[in-house]
Amino acid sequence: MQAASLGIPFQPVRGLWGSDVAAASGFVTVRDPYSGEDVYVVPRIRPDWAVLHVHEVDEQGNARLHGSPGYDLVMAEAAVRVILTAERIISVEESAAHPEWTKIPGIFVAAAVAAPKGAYPCGCMPDYDVDPKGIHDYFQATGSEESLRDYLGRVDP
Amino acid sequence: MPVSPSEFMAVALARTVRDGEVVAQGVDSVLASLAILLARRTHAPSLTWITIAGGVDPTLSELPNSSVSPAWLAGTRAILSNPEFYRLAMRGGVDRMFLGAAQIDQRGRLNLTVIGDRDHPRIRLPGGGGAAVLAQVVRHIVVWRTRHTPEVFVPSVDFVTAQGNIEAVVTPLGMLGFEDGRLILRARFPGISLDEVAARTGFPIVPETAVPVIEPTEGELRILRDLDPGRKRDLEFPRGDTPVG
Repeated sequence: MQAASLGIPFQPVRGLWGSDVAAASGFVTVRDPYSGEDVYVVPRIRPDWAVLHVHEVDEQGNARLHGSPGYDLVMAEAAVRVILTAERIISVEESAAHPEWTKIPGIFVAAAVAAPKGAYPCGCMPDYDVDPKGIHDYFQATGSEESLRDYLGRVDP
Repeated sequence: MPVSPSEFMAVALARTVRDGEVVAQGVDSVLASLAILLARRTHAPSLTWITIAGGVDPTLSELPNSSVSPAWLAGTRAILSNPEFYRLAMRGGVDRMFLGAAQIDQRGRLNLTVIGDRDHPRIRLPGGGGAAVLAQVVRHIVVWRTRHTPEVFVPSVDFVTAQGNIEAVVTPLGMLGFEDGRLILRARFPGISLDEVAARTGFPIVPETAVPVIEPTEGELRILRDLDPGRKRDLEFPRGDTPVG
């Protein structure tokens, strides 16, 4: 995805030597034309959509993330289009007061929706942790569409 | 209070750390986290810890319950994204990392991908994360596993997820290292016999030479118990497994 974010076809990476991951994934090596060193190159992944959960977003899609951003920022640049779900909606004026706090610019974003506790039963650092019982309940509910609908009704009434 | 297998392992893991190193751990690694905290409180006060949540040198009032727990943020002055961590590692900025593995073989190769035939596996595992890269760009890899059985320590892994700078393997029986590219028992915990280690390993593991015993100090045990009063360090151990000490 880093390659996709840069608009290039592949990304050289260190390591991978002697790992079956490379062959199983179809990764090949190329020779660095400058140093002559062999490196593995990983083909780009360009998703049609990235759906990312953030802490705050304004109505133009400018988003703030607290806690660890994980891979969200590179995904927001790699995908063709981005949908954000957010713990809270803030005003454009609030974004304008602190533009340096915007981590995902709204110009990257196709749509945003308010979804408080949207990461549940997983965690959303620093607001809430993983709920082990919630994960168990979700897992139990995935047996059928009916039980999944029932579960979703319970967690988001 | 008797010393638990988790405490022996945490002490052995902590002692691998050298002062001043940049150290990291993988997901869901309570024991490795505890070992890093112990090292920081004993012989390696100036280590730098980059946590699984991307934080730097957290103070941690409690051991977090998950890899995304808000507890990871206590005291941290910066938060690295995952790409920032991997880029740091690839340019040589991480000295030591603690990794787990489902299978480990005689050559120190790690399997975190599948058990059984790779196309029709008996068990599909979560995968290696970045292990195939990290095992070669991080200078010292210390592997830990809370089960030491012939199913874990196999002559040859079903799938090579990663191999590289593996320095040591810590289990409830002791610590393994390398000799001529082969894993060998370097040290054992009190009450563990060489016969038991041999019987629970799927390849020859006991060296010709004497094998020292790792004895935790009173100070190390006191710090461990102070850091983890809720005994989260025991959660990963099957009940009744490996009574030692």
